[in-house]
Amino acid sequence: MVEVNDTLSGPVLIIGAGVAGMTAAIELADSDIKTILVEKKQTIGGNALELYKAFPTDDCFYCFEGSRFRPGIRKCFYRSAMLDNPNIDLRTNTRVDEITGNPGNFKVKLTTGPMYVDPKRCIMCGLCLKRSGAFSLISPQCQPQAVFYDPSLAEESVKEIEKECPTKAINLNAQSTEEQVEVSDIILATGYTEMRPVNMDEYGYGKYPNVITQLELARMLDPNGESAGALIRPSDGAPVKRVMMVQCVGSRDENYNLYCSKICCVFALKHANIIVNERNGIKTTVVYMDIRTYDRHERYYREARESGVRFVRGRVHLVRPNPDGSLDIIVYDSLLDRYLSYNIDLFVLSTALEPSEEDETLQRTLGLNTSSGFVAPLDLANDSVVAGDHVYVCGAAMGPAEVPESVTQARAVVSKILQGRQ
Amino acid sequence: MAETKESAEPPTILVDPIDMSKLDQSFCNEIKSMPYGEELVACFACTTCTAACPIANQWDYKPHQLIRMIILGMREEVLSSKEIWECLTCFQCQERCPQKVRVTDIFFDCKNLAAEEGKVPNSIVALGKLLLETGQLYEVTEDWQREDLDLEPEVPGLATEPLKEILKTTRTGRLVGSDE
Ligand SMILES: Cc1cc2nc3c(=O)[nH]c(=O)nc-3n(C[C@H](O)[C@H](O)[C@H](O)COP(=O)(O)OP(=O)(O)OC[C@H]3O[C@@H](n4cnc5c(N)ncnc54)[C@H](O)[C@@H]3O)c2cc1C
Ligand code: SF4
Ligand code: SF4
Ligand code: SF4
Ligand code: SF4
Repeated sequence: MVEVNDTLSGPVLIIGAGVAGMTAAIELADSDIKTILVEKKQTIGGNALELYKAFPTDDCFYCFEGSRFRPGIRKCFYRSAMLDNPNIDLRTNTRVDEITGNPGNFKVKLTTGPMYVDPKRCIMCGLCLKRSGAFSLISPQCQPQAVFYDPSLAEESVKEIEKECPTKAINLNAQSTEEQVEVSDIILATGYTEMRPVNMDEYGYGKYPNVITQLELARMLDPNGESAGALIRPSDGAPVKRVMMVQCVGSRDENYNLYCSKICCVFALKHANIIVNERNGIKTTVVYMDIRTYDRHERYYREARESGVRFVRGRVHLVRPNPDGSLDIIVYDSLLDRYLSYNIDLFVLSTALEPSEEDETLQRTLGLNTSSGFVAPLDLANDSVVAGDHVYVCGAAMGPAEVPESVTQARAVVSKILQGRQ
Repeated sequence: MAETKESAEPPTILVDPIDMSKLDQSFCNEIKSMPYGEELVACFACTTCTAACPIANQWDYKPHQLIRMIILGMREEVLSSKEIWECLTCFQCQERCPQKVRVTDIFFDCKNLAAEEGKVPNSIVALGKLLLETGQLYEVTEDWQREDLDLEPEVPGLATEPLKEILKTTRTGRLVGSDE
């Protein structure tokens, strides 16, 4: 056992429970370091929760070997293991309100709740889900396993449901609670949010229901999702026959985000391959200006061409909705110098990956360097995960990143903290 | 039938390349130094400008190609192109350009340069003349034009004389006048 210096033995606060935050928590816990893992949503898992097949291995990154051979079953033991670990104090539905104190001894005010549904009691019987739209299941994979209650959708019936819940898990009068914790280190693992391009008139997102983002497509492709993996038009539920994707929406665009979001080419082609190979007969076209499937991911590009995914080098001229729900899309083909007209059912935008909403406040409070809104390390060349004195960063909080990269960075943070405590 | 050794061999170059040494290498910098031309070289050839353009369909040189030609130094071809004059100045290319290249403004720069060199199409010169002579681009020529809109026959308070005076001293005045 490592001798722990008293002044450095405080717990570590991890903000964000996506793959990066979870990795840091579980590996610190394994080294007997206490962590407080704060997640603003009611479930842990972050953006990777609903990814269906993940590159580079095409399965759920966290599944243990055994479950790889049970297609469609992605019970993530990894996630459920987080709930019972004595060294991890998991706080879902929790926000960081204030950070004061000094490096090595931060005082952090946390606000939790309101916890309308007690996750320790909810047995996911589904009674409330059937009775009112105010109750929903974020994902069958959610951890802790509990339904979600949205008070803004409350109807008359919710009071009855509260009484009828077999385990008395529901408390409609729940209030939020505040607590101050003292921690020695802070790890920022707040990840990214996918851009919703409502301001880009040319694509009609938010205006035409059959225009969606890649994350929305991932949710649709997920066999555990609402449509059970079937591709359907959001407008009328009709089966999709033709898909078009367009790359670099809001990325590499100085009017929005000047950086390349790095992984959207890879996940777009991952999705295109799934559609063409596993959803028989659906035609898929990808409109791009550059395809950037960096290093080993080039194979997704090659596979896409072999599978019959069509590529058009150019940009979208216009999108026009038809009364039957389909969309007419005219694309300028810059290689042919001609305009191509398509009729499609689902238009998928590969939108930018942007910093999480509260990141700016956190960065300002902690006085961190930033780059395009993401956390920038103090010394990019030597210590890419150190953001400040006793402050670390990993995963997509530093900029668009894939899962393996986020995990590697989380491990680097863990080894930094362990070194500091020897 | 003098057979030379050379002619028996296939020509080594089948393509018809642009001789780069003949292009005007300073043209790019010239445009860059003009108003709103700074971002010219930021262009990464995505062709969004052409995709956005409502009229490029009818053009031999598309907006992105004109930008490319400027960067390469194809001064002559750009300044004598019909496209820069047919541009509707709708600014859609410029609005959507992800690299903030001010495409429409750059075409204005090109028009200004072309005008300085007397390369203004006749139709445009005619418009300039009309403006100079009448102080208006659109004259009411038929009674029904205003009647149909329930307007009085004469435009109230229309005073074109002062405008004509001013126009004489402008570049338009100079360019159109020198043509006479
Ligand atoms: C469509 C799509 C497909 C993808 N496919 C793949 C793939 O196949 N393979 C792959 O490797 N990668 C893929 N990715 C990338 C993958 O999603 C990311 O690499 C991964 O999610 C990054 O993990 P993270 O923990 O850094 O961030 P996130 O997953 O974003 O998690 C951050 C967590 O922090 C929480 N949080 C944020 N701010 C706060 C706050 N202030 N307080 C409390 N909690 C907060 C968030 O709620 C979230 O739960 C894909 C991404 C997209 C968009
Ligand atoms: S009725 Fe109660 S136990 Fe059942 S799903 Fe709803 S909250 Fe959970
Ligand atoms: S990864 Fe591809 S789609 Fe994403 S911003 Fe970069 S080039 Fe564009
Ligand atoms: S839109 Fe801008 S960057 Fe793209 S080709 Fe046109 S000028 Fe170049
Ligand atoms: S401003 Fe001119 S070049 Fe640009 S989109 Fe409009 S017509 Fe086309």
